[in-house]
Amino acid sequence: MSEPRLISSYLAALADQLPASIVEELADGLTETHRSYLQQGLAPDLAAESAVAEFGEPQEIVAEFARVNPARRAARRLLGIGPLVGACWAAALITDRASAWPVPFAARVLIGVALITIIGLLAASALSSRYRLAARAGVAGCVGIAALDAVLITAVMFTSAPMTWVVVGAMLASTARIAFAARSLVPALAR
Amino acid sequence: MRAEELKGHLDAVLLAALEDGPRHGYAVIESLRQSTGGRLDLPTGTIYPALRRLEQAGLITGSWSVVGGRRRREYKLTAAGTRALSGRRADWLDFSATVSAALEGRPCPSPV
Repeated sequence: MSEPRLISSYLAALADQLPASIVEELADGLTETHRSYLQQGLAPDLAAESAVAEFGEPQEIVAEFARVNPARRAARRLLGIGPLVGACWAAALITDRASAWPVPFAARVLIGVALITIIGLLAASALSSRYRLAARAGVAGCVGIAALDAVLITAVMFTSAPMTWVVVGAMLASTARIAFAARSLVPALAR
Repeated sequence: MRAEELKGHLDAVLLAALEDGPRHGYAVIESLRQSTGGRLDLPTGTIYPALRRLEQAGLITGSWSVVGGRRRREYKLTAAGTRALSGRRADWLDFSATVSAALEGRPCPSPV
């Protein structure tokens, strides 16, 4: 039996926004729902209309999948712990007079721009109801924050910045965040 | 019963639908329809992301099989899912007994 056009176009709308494995599962459920209506005696087109109506709006389903995306969950957690790690670095910069550290002005600007971009990516992932945007922005944000933390740690180790307990604490906070971001990437990339 | 009213209980309801054995998404929906007499009014397409969320939480596991030439994802409860279901069921029975007693103006039964 060929698939009614309404069901094909419904699945095509989902396929535009969701990975193939998810669409495959939804297609199975929708086909079974359609079949169930046919068995109840509905005409094929009416059965297709009823099945699609029962399934719900494609945007609603996509938004629900975006909500459970592992990359989005990682982005939300990274945004949650961000202020804590930021406070550690702020304490290090204030107490150790970071303005005197031998870091070029261009590098400081670059770090600032990178941080703002990463926060933007994480926020886009955390708030988006679009699955692919949530997934891609979340992965990019995880990679970005881990890279930025690695740069900060390396910069402190290779400049003549004083290695005080506050600086060591900030480096440990960044190391923990790198580990968290790396662990979050595993399920995020598996889908 | 609308989807908003089910919020907070959907996970337990889905876990209960898998208690008798592994089921694929549509079979879970059918099981819910039968056990509730079709009174749950929610877009059935949103059951699938909820199943993925439970899978990520380690309460169920999903695996692919081929049935009638179509790939189908089947879910089953994990040990953690069985424990979670048991806990949520006890919480719900306690909650509903308490609220029912309050609404009916009778003393709340002592917890067993």
